[in-house]
Amino acid sequence: MESALPEGSAPGEPPSNQLRLIGAHMPSSGGLSSCLLSGREIGCTAVQLFTGNPRQWSHPPLAEEEIRAFQNAREETALPFLCAHDSYLINLAAPDADVLDRSRNAFRGELERAHALGIPWVVTHMGAHLERGEEEAVARLIESLVRILEETDAAGCTAGIALETTAGQGTGLGWRFEQLGAVLKGVDHQQRIGVCMDTCHIFAAGYDLRTEDAWENTLKEFDAQVGLSALRIIHANDSKKGLGSRVDRHEHIGKGEIGLKPFARLVRDARLQHVPVVVETPDAHTMHQVNVALLQRLAAGGTGVFVEVELCGHFSEAGPLLQMELPENTSLQQLAEILEQKDARLAGLSACCQFAVNHEFAERGTLLCEGDRVAALPPSSGG
Amino acid sequence: MASAEIVDTPLNRDALEARIAPDEHGAVCVFIGQVRNHSRGKQVASLEYRAYMPLAEKQLLRVAEDAEKRWGCQVALWHRLGIMKPGDASVAVAVSAPHRAEAFEACRYCIDTLKALVPIWKRETCPDGTWWIEGEEAFPASEER
Repeated sequence: MESALPEGSAPGEPPSNQLRLIGAHMPSSGGLSSCLLSGREIGCTAVQLFTGNPRQWSHPPLAEEEIRAFQNAREETALPFLCAHDSYLINLAAPDADVLDRSRNAFRGELERAHALGIPWVVTHMGAHLERGEEEAVARLIESLVRILEETDAAGCTAGIALETTAGQGTGLGWRFEQLGAVLKGVDHQQRIGVCMDTCHIFAAGYDLRTEDAWENTLKEFDAQVGLSALRIIHANDSKKGLGSRVDRHEHIGKGEIGLKPFARLVRDARLQHVPVVVETPDAHTMHQVNVALLQRLAAGGTGVFVEVELCGHFSEAGPLLQMELPENTSLQQLAEILEQKDARLAGLSACCQFAVNHEFAERGTLLCEGDRVAALPPSSGG
Repeated sequence: MASAEIVDTPLNRDALEARIAPDEHGAVCVFIGQVRNHSRGKQVASLEYRAYMPLAEKQLLRVAEDAEKRWGCQVALWHRLGIMKPGDASVAVAVSAPHRAEAFEACRYCIDTLKALVPIWKRETCPDGTWWIEGEEAFPASEER
């Protein structure tokens, strides 16, 4: 149906330009080039990928054909922005000499693979101190980064390192902005080192983004401690856990503790306009498309939520499946009223129907979220 | 274990009853609902059942599980979708229990409850056209899509 939203629903906000890069971390089950093709297919203008198995230490060098296929896919898809995410095993601050050595080698491999593929940035977490002294760990991290940058500089590698803000889970480093700032300062290599801000992580680490003021404060703090100019990538993820929980659990955009509005603010913030946004939300195969489309719509000024409504029984005469854009915080009751006004054949729907949301019965007060699948169920007559 | 299935093929009673009646049960009660040749004072040429599938099979299974819990019986429920002629079986309830009282009661409960709780709707084709039946009401339906 036509939008139920009034025109210009974001007063005072300029309509965002088309250049805002928004995409997703794409699964690489079909080879590296498939990330680009599937990313393009679901509407990404930015794609993040693993260039190796993220649960493995060592990787054979990329085969020539793999690199060629990737370059072809890049040309074919014309994706304007790519970044890689490193292996989960790497800890560039590891207290154990052996693990530290393996981590440095593995991370060098990450940069070399990214360079070979023409990927400009590799996102990495900042490692963990494992209860063996945080300060020493930060020093080791800086030493790792300086060394790796020197060595790969010498080899002509241009891929940069984007240090990711973390949730502060366990002994992980990098959840305080001042720590990130200290590492950036310690490494001092502006061309090849930057920062990736993960909204779920910073929220779990205690930086609020839910209100206008909170967002301003968080951004101000980030600018003071890290510097907005160092921000290269944004991971847009909602959080299953609360503010300051220091637990890292990603949630679909708008469905978690952060909620939809802050993401609208983020993708429309002129100060961040040049920074590509990547989602790392659950259910990649079915939901990346929904989350990416949602962020793109928010960037373009829309504040509504898109839902799918299946009309059952005689109401299916009005078209069995409707795609609808609803104002934020529309309840099932309000949806029933909107439907009745939309089409004379839906008269009486509100009085007689039960509703299901995402395949379970739901109360009339239920607020609809992006991507919800609603069914209107008149009294049944089976048997 | 309760079983529930929604299919578009004719009833196979043997297959249905094979899902219930272990040797410690002394009573088997089977209810079959079939398409009636008249409804609301009119001849019925054919009936069609349609379901909201994402919820229908789940709901049917919940009815079966609920009955099993309440009467300590074993339940197999079956519902057919699609176009049927008078005399065709559209729904079946098979219950086994240690004794006949629980079997009868659970069987009655299952057919009554599934009619109310499982999102399935019937379309009757009569001489004056096709009608959606919803509870006590009938609404005109467009021709076959």
